[in-house]
Amino acid sequence: MDRHSDRLSDRLRLGRAAWVLAAAVPLAFLAIFFAWPVAALVGRGFWTDGALDLGGFAEVFSATRTWRIIGITLGQAVAGTALSVLLGVPGAYVLYRCSFPGRTLLRGLVAVPFVLPTVVVGVAFRAVLAPDGPLGALGLDQTFAAIVLALVFFNYSVVVRTVGGMWERLDPRAEQAARALGASPARAFRTVTLPALTPAIASAASIVFLFCATAYGIVLVLGPTGYGTIETEIYVQTTQFLDLRAAAVLSVVQLVVVGAALAVANRARTRRERALALTSDRAVARPLRARRDALPLAATAVVVLGLLAMPLGTLLARSFREPDGGWGLANYRNLSTTGDANALSVTVWQATATSLRTAALAALIAVVVGGLVALVVSRRPRAAGGRRALRVLDSVFMLPLGVSAVTVGFGFLVTLDRPLGLDVDLRTSGLLVPIAQAVVAVPLVVRVLLPVLRAIDPRLREAAATLGAGPGRVLATIDAPVGARPLGLAIGFAFATSLGEFGATSFLARPDSATLPVVIYRLIGRPGAGDYGMALAASVVLAVVTAAVMLVAEQLRGERTGEI
Amino acid sequence: MGTVQAATDGLTVRDAVVRYVTGGTGEGAVTAVDRVSLDVPAGQVLALLGPSGCGKSSLLRAVAGIEPLAAGTVAWAGDDVGGVPVHRRGFGLMFQDGQLFAHRDVGRNVAYGLAGGGRPGAQERARRVEELLELVGLPGYARREVATLSGGEKQRVALARSLAPRPRLLLLDEPLSALDRSLRERLATDLRDVLVTTGTTAVFVTHDQDEAFAVADRVAVMDAGRLLQVAAPEELWRAPASRRVAEFLGYQAFVPGDDGSTLAVGPTGLVVAEDGPWSGEVVRSVVRRGRHEVTVQADLGEGGLRRLVATAPDGALPDSGADGVRVALALDPRGCARLGDAAPAVSR
Repeated sequence: MDRHSDRLSDRLRLGRAAWVLAAAVPLAFLAIFFAWPVAALVGRGFWTDGALDLGGFAEVFSATRTWRIIGITLGQAVAGTALSVLLGVPGAYVLYRCSFPGRTLLRGLVAVPFVLPTVVVGVAFRAVLAPDGPLGALGLDQTFAAIVLALVFFNYSVVVRTVGGMWERLDPRAEQAARALGASPARAFRTVTLPALTPAIASAASIVFLFCATAYGIVLVLGPTGYGTIETEIYVQTTQFLDLRAAAVLSVVQLVVVGAALAVANRARTRRERALALTSDRAVARPLRARRDALPLAATAVVVLGLLAMPLGTLLARSFREPDGGWGLANYRNLSTTGDANALSVTVWQATATSLRTAALAALIAVVVGGLVALVVSRRPRAAGGRRALRVLDSVFMLPLGVSAVTVGFGFLVTLDRPLGLDVDLRTSGLLVPIAQAVVAVPLVVRVLLPVLRAIDPRLREAAATLGAGPGRVLATIDAPVGARPLGLAIGFAFATSLGEFGATSFLARPDSATLPVVIYRLIGRPGAGDYGMALAASVVLAVVTAAVMLVAEQLRGERTGEI
Repeated sequence: MGTVQAATDGLTVRDAVVRYVTGGTGEGAVTAVDRVSLDVPAGQVLALLGPSGCGKSSLLRAVAGIEPLAAGTVAWAGDDVGGVPVHRRGFGLMFQDGQLFAHRDVGRNVAYGLAGGGRPGAQERARRVEELLELVGLPGYARREVATLSGGEKQRVALARSLAPRPRLLLLDEPLSALDRSLRERLATDLRDVLVTTGTTAVFVTHDQDEAFAVADRVAVMDAGRLLQVAAPEELWRAPASRRVAEFLGYQAFVPGDDGSTLAVGPTGLVVAEDGPWSGEVVRSVVRRGRHEVTVQADLGEGGLRRLVATAPDGALPDSGADGVRVALALDPRGCARLGDAAPAVSR
């Protein structure tokens, strides 16, 4: 070997070390703040007096209550997913394949529910379906149907965005060719367009299934008494029955369900990324025609007006109904109090400030960690082993999306009193809440950034290198400008989800540092009309703040859509 | 390995091998380039000609340093560059689809390779950008957005961008293939002019022989990862080294000669004659470039009937239409070549 080769291997080693470090930082974060707490909590269920004890499985699975809960969870997830897809596909057509005045605004409105805090969604649906609400006559208050509707409200935009993003760039000539060969519009759609969209639909469906199966806040607020899913049951077993063994078994069951959904999502995503190569970048939207597009138009109108606008409108209207029955701003004035009989330890405005502070910190952590993950996973190493390692890394960082936030929150309490033997108690430092929120937000950041970074043609980097740019300059001049566009959206997503995060936060936030969703949940659980009114007003505040964050983020987004 | 023997002042490739691993465990290795050796003296333009999938692009990427060599050496002026990373080789690479940076305007694309320490300042840079844009026939385009350019303009900008850092070697990977025919012919001539004017040493990959002959000083024919022949265009045409080379150049039939050699029959090498050694049945006749051209069903001693194209002198065919007529066929020596007349397939 001559000096060139020596220098090359040195440089190669250096470059590889940099990438390994870039992967190690997020991995360490995930290990300490996700894997360890979850494993510790699950382990407590199986480890009694230093010996492995799997008796918990037999015990839990022999209870009829367990099977009922698993059945409800799956039923709720299947119904929510099916309805979301059924309504979302026509919505994707209208909002992404057709052009009409106000389309951008409507797209923005449809996107709002996804980032709305689950507690707000629950409160809004309660306002509509309660006996004195506009749809109270239907008798849906606190039923299975109410939960499914709320899940559709929440996940409709996931389907619309994922499917629409692909539909928008689907080359229309394939469908035109089918039409020219004598296919009716319906047959052309069924035989040409639908198969092309299938990977996107499957990808969206598996993500929606994941969200529906692990829904927590919505179930807690809207569910009838005695209604439970795996997620809420983990909460009940841990906090009320103090049965860690049952909770651990249920966590494992949930991990299996989540793992299966993620595997399906992953396969669908790979197929979709491959399929995307076949699409054109030309704008193919055509004007919306009331006659031709009657069916999708009607479906979209019903969803947008009935399912999306009505709960939010009702929530807004009811927030101005004063406790004594009149209309006014009393509920909003009460936000600077701690509620009837001091239900809270802080005023709602103080909680709002805490929420904003916490979410900002969480978003910062999530974007740094998620950004590193996306950057590392977007590489295409030559060695098969390297490629496999990246696939694993990608999947591992999706796990927090599905693992019970309750498990994460409770695991934090169990493990992080003196992390790694260090003499710091993270539980009292106030850092725990933003870290837990960041764990939940990282997968979203990765899913927003990764498709954009992956879409960079590797030959662009090669072109830069042949022009004399070293690896650092290639990152700075090729990856950074392209990755910067969705970065705004990623920050917005991370900030919004952190603002609304309820599962883990409800465990970790101390009464004097409660966040807005925690305060709302506490208020809505109180009997007084004054507290209920405050919950409505606080929900409006939270919704407005979240929507404002997302609107700003939407302005910053690039033209390429992410996956969610 | 040390320095390579036969030091020249240009590019030297010796026994280069490029392999791609397709399977997960490494058993599915495909050899894209199989022990290729060639030289490009400084200032010369070499075309790498071959059908798609023959390994020419892989060889080019290996020379650029993007693809690792499984064996063999790449050297410049006698110095092995195998250990030098892509961005320090001083070899430019121009892609088939340009790969312009969409987030930079034309001027900043061209200036990309000029930035960095020790290179000219801002004013000097702007001057150089304008000079290069003029060279490729796009004066005043510096502020244009890349998205507003036509396909031909994009390739011109890509050429200017690759030339800007004054690479000691310019590698061009099918730079004209994405363009339509008339534009391609015009740009091939322009490309040759630019390369000669700037005295750039270049390797030009193409699957189009007309393009190769128009741009290059010498043409290297590749097939299935191997180098078949390297020669100047006219020499290549006059004396293809093997049947495969001749076939790729468009020779249509191969006739055993008297002395045991093989005669390759070119597109104009077969004529309809009063009297000839073979006969064939006319399947179709057309007038092309003012000459009668017939497609005949014939066997030139290769064993089996084949469709061949022959030229027919005026009056050789009946006016009433020639389809189905049997005609006598002979060779026109000016359109034929003897295989293996040239030196074997190694470079100078």
